[in-house]
Amino acid sequence: MMMDCKQYRAALLADPAAGSADLRAHGTSCPDCTHFTQRVEAFEARLARAVRLPLPAAPEPSLEAQVLQLPTSAASETRPRGPSGAARAAGAAGAAVGRAPRWYAIAASLVVAIGAAGLLWLAVPRASLAGDVVTHMAAEPDAWRATTTAVSPAALEAVTQDAHMRLSSSAAGLVSYASSCAFHGHQVPHLVVQDRSGPVTVMVLVHETARSADNFDAQGYRGEILPVPGHGAIAVLTRNQNLDAAALDRIALQLREAIRWTD
Amino acid sequence: MRSRVGENQKHARFQALCQSLRPDLLRFALWLARDRSLAEDVVQEALLRAWKAEDALQDEKAAKPWLLTIIRREYARTFERKRLPTVDLAELIASEEPALAGGEDPNLAELRLAIYQLPEEYREPLVLQVLMGFTTAEIGQQLGLTTAAVLTRLFRARRQLRALCGEDVSQDPDDDGL
Repeated sequence: MMMDCKQYRAALLADPAAGSADLRAHGTSCPDCTHFTQRVEAFEARLARAVRLPLPAAPEPSLEAQVLQLPTSAASETRPRGPSGAARAAGAAGAAVGRAPRWYAIAASLVVAIGAAGLLWLAVPRASLAGDVVTHMAAEPDAWRATTTAVSPAALEAVTQDAHMRLSSSAAGLVSYASSCAFHGHQVPHLVVQDRSGPVTVMVLVHETARSADNFDAQGYRGEILPVPGHGAIAVLTRNQNLDAAALDRIALQLREAIRWTD
Repeated sequence: MRSRVGENQKHARFQALCQSLRPDLLRFALWLARDRSLAEDVVQEALLRAWKAEDALQDEKAAKPWLLTIIRREYARTFERKRLPTVDLAELIASEEPALAGGEDPNLAELRLAIYQLPEEYREPLVLQVLMGFTTAEIGQQLGLTTAAVLTRLFRARRQLRALCGEDVSQDPDDDGL
């Protein structure tokens, strides 16, 4: 049974990233709902940024440091607290003091463990989508040239058509590099856009799944994996270490909006 | 000697795992508690509980939902330990203003404020979905709800948010379409 507009819109508002075949079919075939989808997706992009509340810039205390701090009630009292937080934290602090001897035992054993194992962990490889994207980037240094020369429209189309997409150059900016690259067993578009902050690489990962935005900073690359409802994800990377997370996020969203899906 | 190294390596892996997840766990706790101090206490206590129960985690891929469950239980425990005072929402928002700041984007602060104002039953599944990347089935498992109930709450959450942010909701359907 075909999905009607009411069902489509309710399903989209409940789970914009669901991307079932029925949902996508209705979303692309119904003109009214296409406009509705664009508005919901724009709102969803803002929502994804909004839920990532800024955290203090100071380094996170390590787990063992947290253990060691817990029985020190004086330390917890020095933290600034709002009027509501003070009353609430008082209960937690009281409970913590009552359990202090156990925490000391935990702390002592943890210190021993950490001393021997800290370096071992650093050697353990951790596979991730972001890590694989960074590894791929390192193998294509030519893509990072700052230039004012755009790739030809034909070359760009050849790369993007396999992914059932087009890139709006007016929305994305100057595309200086376009290559179809093997990634996780699929050919994916690897594009470089010349942003005013420098070259920015985009990989269109229609075969991957990302349900929430994910920032990373590794091997000299800063980037973001951004979900694209119904079309996998895009990875956006820069080598400009001065670009803050908010600026990178803006570029990623701008590039995501510049993609026109043709399927 | 070998087993001690293995044990140490396990502890170190677990610690690194907690550290990598901690930012989003803290964000989740902040959305849940709407109070930075309380959220930090809850996450700290939850990570300690997790460390003590480390052996219960058989698969690192399951770490996120496992830690979230501990955080949710720890948050509930704070209410059991002490009857918390009822807090005026305006006062709460004023005290958490730095956390809601949107940097260069004022719309972001407005949207965060709107999320703050959502009832917990809508706010929590929404944050699990958008921040933590959970599927509706995973949210249902976490909250003890059916998938249909989760979808209804997510739909209502977005509809309320859009209205609070001045979006055009005239074409939004009722939730009987779900």
